[in-house]
Amino acid sequence: MTTRLNRLLVPAVLVVAVLILPRLVTSNYWMNLINLSISLAVACLGLNIVLGYAGQLSLAQAAFWGVGAYTSAILTTQFGLPVWAGMFAAFFVAAFFGILLGIPTLKLSGHYLAMATIGFGIILQLILVNAIWLTKGSDGITQIPSPWIGSFELKAPGDFYYVAAVSLILFTWGAIHLKDSRVGRALMAIRENEMAAGTAGVDTTYYKILAFTLSAGYAGFGGWLFAHSCSHYISPDTFSFEQSVIMLVMAVLGGNGSAIGSIVGATLLTLLPEMLRFLKDSYMMFYAAGIVAIMIFMPSGIAGLVKSMPVSLRLRAWWNAGSTAARQVASAAAARENSGGKPNAFSIEDCTGSGEVLLSVKGLAKHFGGLKAVDGVDMEVRRGEIQALIGPNGSGKTTILNMLSGLYVPTSGEIALDGAVVTGQKPHVITAHGVARTFQNIRLFGELTVLDNVLIGQHSRSKAGLVASIFRPGSQRTEEAALRLKALEALEFVGLRGKEFAEAKSLPYGRQRVLELARALVSDPKLLLLDEPAAGLNAAETEALVELLFQIRDRGITILLVEHDMSLVMNVSDHITVLNFGKKIAEGSADEVEHNQEVIDAYLGMEVATEVSNDA
Amino acid sequence: MDWSTNLQMIAAGLAMGSIYALVALGFVLIFNAVNVVNFAQGEFAMVPAFVTVWLMSSLNIPFALTCVIAVIFMGVFGIVFQRIAYYPLRHRSFLPVVISTIGVGIFLKNGAQIIFGAEPLSMPRPTSATALKMLGVFVDPQYVVVILCTLALLGFQYFFFEKTMLGKKMLATAQDKEMARLLGIPVAKMIAITFAYSSILGAAAGILVGPIFFVTKDMGAMLGLKAFCSAILGGFGSVPGAIMGGIFLGVIEVFASYYISSAYRDAFAFIILILVLLLRPQGFFGEKIAEKA
Amino acid sequence: MMLDVKEIETWYGAIQALKGISLDVNQGEIVSLLGANGAGKSTTIKTITGLLAPAKGRIEFMGQVITGKEPEDIAEIGIACVPEGRRIFPGLTVLDNLMLGATPRKNAPQADIQKDLGRVYEIFPQLKESRKRLGWTLSGGQQQMLAIGRGLMSGSKLLLLDEPSLGLAPVLVQEVFRVIKEINGMGTTILLVEQNARMALLITHRGFVLETGKVMLTDTAANLLSNEEMKAHYLGAHAHVKEARQRRRSERGRV
Repeated sequence: MTTRLNRLLVPAVLVVAVLILPRLVTSNYWMNLINLSISLAVACLGLNIVLGYAGQLSLAQAAFWGVGAYTSAILTTQFGLPVWAGMFAAFFVAAFFGILLGIPTLKLSGHYLAMATIGFGIILQLILVNAIWLTKGSDGITQIPSPWIGSFELKAPGDFYYVAAVSLILFTWGAIHLKDSRVGRALMAIRENEMAAGTAGVDTTYYKILAFTLSAGYAGFGGWLFAHSCSHYISPDTFSFEQSVIMLVMAVLGGNGSAIGSIVGATLLTLLPEMLRFLKDSYMMFYAAGIVAIMIFMPSGIAGLVKSMPVSLRLRAWWNAGSTAARQVASAAAARENSGGKPNAFSIEDCTGSGEVLLSVKGLAKHFGGLKAVDGVDMEVRRGEIQALIGPNGSGKTTILNMLSGLYVPTSGEIALDGAVVTGQKPHVITAHGVARTFQNIRLFGELTVLDNVLIGQHSRSKAGLVASIFRPGSQRTEEAALRLKALEALEFVGLRGKEFAEAKSLPYGRQRVLELARALVSDPKLLLLDEPAAGLNAAETEALVELLFQIRDRGITILLVEHDMSLVMNVSDHITVLNFGKKIAEGSADEVEHNQEVIDAYLGMEVATEVSNDA
Repeated sequence: MDWSTNLQMIAAGLAMGSIYALVALGFVLIFNAVNVVNFAQGEFAMVPAFVTVWLMSSLNIPFALTCVIAVIFMGVFGIVFQRIAYYPLRHRSFLPVVISTIGVGIFLKNGAQIIFGAEPLSMPRPTSATALKMLGVFVDPQYVVVILCTLALLGFQYFFFEKTMLGKKMLATAQDKEMARLLGIPVAKMIAITFAYSSILGAAAGILVGPIFFVTKDMGAMLGLKAFCSAILGGFGSVPGAIMGGIFLGVIEVFASYYISSAYRDAFAFIILILVLLLRPQGFFGEKIAEKA
Repeated sequence: MMLDVKEIETWYGAIQALKGISLDVNQGEIVSLLGANGAGKSTTIKTITGLLAPAKGRIEFMGQVITGKEPEDIAEIGIACVPEGRRIFPGLTVLDNLMLGATPRKNAPQADIQKDLGRVYEIFPQLKESRKRLGWTLSGGQQQMLAIGRGLMSGSKLLLLDEPSLGLAPVLVQEVFRVIKEINGMGTTILLVEQNARMALLITHRGFVLETGKVMLTDTAANLLSNEEMKAHYLGAHAHVKEARQRRRSERGRV
């Protein structure tokens, strides 16, 4: 059985092993290589944050590495500052450049983002070459000093190794803590599904910039390690686009998203060329061929390969069983067993549905160029009711939902929730006001666990920032425990108990739908927007969904749903609004709408002139 | 303002711009067909440049025959490339494909170094080295050749796509793959041909630019990146955009490096790129793409 | 029987979109595939044309088994498709689009193809006028005509039409259906998918009504038009739904 002690023991053993290593290596040559590997590994850890966690492809990592190296080199050689001051400067100056890259590239993704980062990196390198007054240009900076501890100079590679190793351990620890925290989850949500991250309450702008900043800082620190060790000489050639590519390959080889993987990748790809020296010139060709082969056969890198090995599966199960999350889940399950299986009261605020207007929409319109998708719609949703928005294909239903949740900015009109005007606000702001939604095409964070998906739903109701996420003070741990408790209750409510640690995309379709529902519920919404919640469900699952919707309504949450399944709509709705061609054509109770001639025409087709039938 | 200098620079700019346009065109055609950005596109110009030098210098094959061989070689090359770097990854997300094409680029670069050595090679000029006098100004005849050949190639391409059925089928495949299949168009073949043609464009670029600069294993890298900038400038996915973008970039580069700073010559392409991405990401001729909720 | 679809089951990833669809089309008929949005009509068409492979079931066309074949082959065998959303090639001219429609006719003499082009121009005079215009400049109605004309150029015996009236103004819808009837009169068998059930049934011989991946109802057009159950399938007004609603209301103590 894993105890807390066991979990502390494993990293302790690793740390001791890492610190003892240099005693075993006697050659300075190999020691220098190890130091180089570590400096690259720290940069790769940073790349792992922006690419592996947040999913933003950055090909400028070597440039930030260079910024860190040059910042400290210049400060220590030209201005005589102590090397430790240079260390802080390297981190923060590089981080600043990370902000410079993050801000303009916010709206970019995929190839465009990659190109922009390449361009940024090349421009930085050109500055390093040409700003001779500062950087000494292509000559480079020589005689970069070593750090001192007291009166002891860490000049020998074996001595500097301790600085490198301790830094590596600390930065890795930070990266690992980050992954399993509110901030880390926000980054991964952006990677998995940026749109859903926004509507789940994550401020995607802030977190993308944060990812670039942090990752650049890491690279800058790695550059500091590089400058003050090895040959104590830096020149602009090293910090090229090719080097950024090598860092990318190291990160991907290790396994995108795995901190340890980045370290393994960096070490392998630094030490391997030395061991393969006999291949001489053709080494790079093997390297390149290897890259292509890895992409085809091993896309999840070494970490992915290791993860799928049976030995590792058992080890990880053993390791995970001792984690705080697992223990909390186990004790919650035990508590339920003991109390006779009754579910806890789900803690959504119970607003007594008094029938007053919760959502008011006036004159809402959305034009896409010449197309009037929504053309002046007024509607009201009353507290405590279940309202359906229906209409044939292309009538504007989903467009309205997108405007209500902040994904589209309305062309005109006003949206007010509980008195507060929210027209045109960003999705995460609207979520904070109390609106949650699900999507027609299910937008889950597929590679994350079921539990993590629901935890992200609580982003807008929790507080832990970057520092708290890394250092985990008591307040953060308390918050995490509370978030988990609420998540577990939500999962119990939708019937996903026992699946907490399953990968979201592995769930069957119907279960994925209710998971999305759970994620929406935990944000304490006043209004729940559901976009075709029954799509793809069979009859039994639809019945279960109907029950769930009533239970949600009974807990005080108002529901507005868009649906095509008319039986569901007729069964569930207190009020129905019918759209056609972007305008409201009818509203009322189920009985009223069912017999409304305009509605019948809209769905079944118009009465037609006699000309066609006469041609028979 | 020295008129003759400016005219010379325009000639040089148009020539370099034509090269960028040819490589950018190669990018765009592949992207339109299979939604992949080929980071090895620059090497598609570097490889035939080396092959040309080898054929002419080592085997003493006359220029005209060399061109034919190089073109055929690159056509086959394109089909093989597609089979190795694209086909196995065609259903994956874009990151594996990006890395795969980067890997092939590195492979080709170092392969060239092993086969041909690390020294820059000089491609024998098909034109004489004496400057031509045009419009009262002395111009390197190779520039003229580059511009004329590019025009000819673009003319041929226009004819091919506008007037032949095969060209139409390729355009149809690029515009709507599924619909093309429903009409019975053999889409896999069309994709192979696209890669082959894109490689031939690379051959043209490599053979034309070879005599102007030295032929080195690194010539493809910058060429590819700047051609990518050109394509984005013109509107990624637009064929006339790639051409306009390339020419525009070539001319701007020459003038900026003369009037502003020659040390930062390479930076201008990327500065323009970042400005375009910030202000008008769809470029001149491109269309905005938004994700559907 | 020209097209025989037997018990096909098709999956979209983890969702079963078709749960055992059977239908048939006889030579010379217009058969309609009806049903609410999401019922599986387009999925059925995609399965027949080969874009999707069914997990179970069998499709035969003129005696030849075509289940699981590639779309390119099915086009050559003689089934033409005008898919949902028209999908004409926006960067090509009207004439190009039409000529591409003749792609499956590899061995046909040019004269025959030109004759068919002439026929298409007769049916759609507007296409002849705008034959040099690029696809994206055409209006929705013109694009629909072009898509149908392109389908006719294949010389195929069976034409699949997926939602030809979608997004068109009522006047154009009438025109489209008139044309479909005319084409059928000239010898093309048609399988028509439509949300606009009433208009479709006016020109159809037989219809199949789909709901959540199954065929719920099949009958002659005349019978379907007067069938109250049809309305139920579209508007969720089944008797059992009404009962459930009543039950819930009384459970929750509402009026």
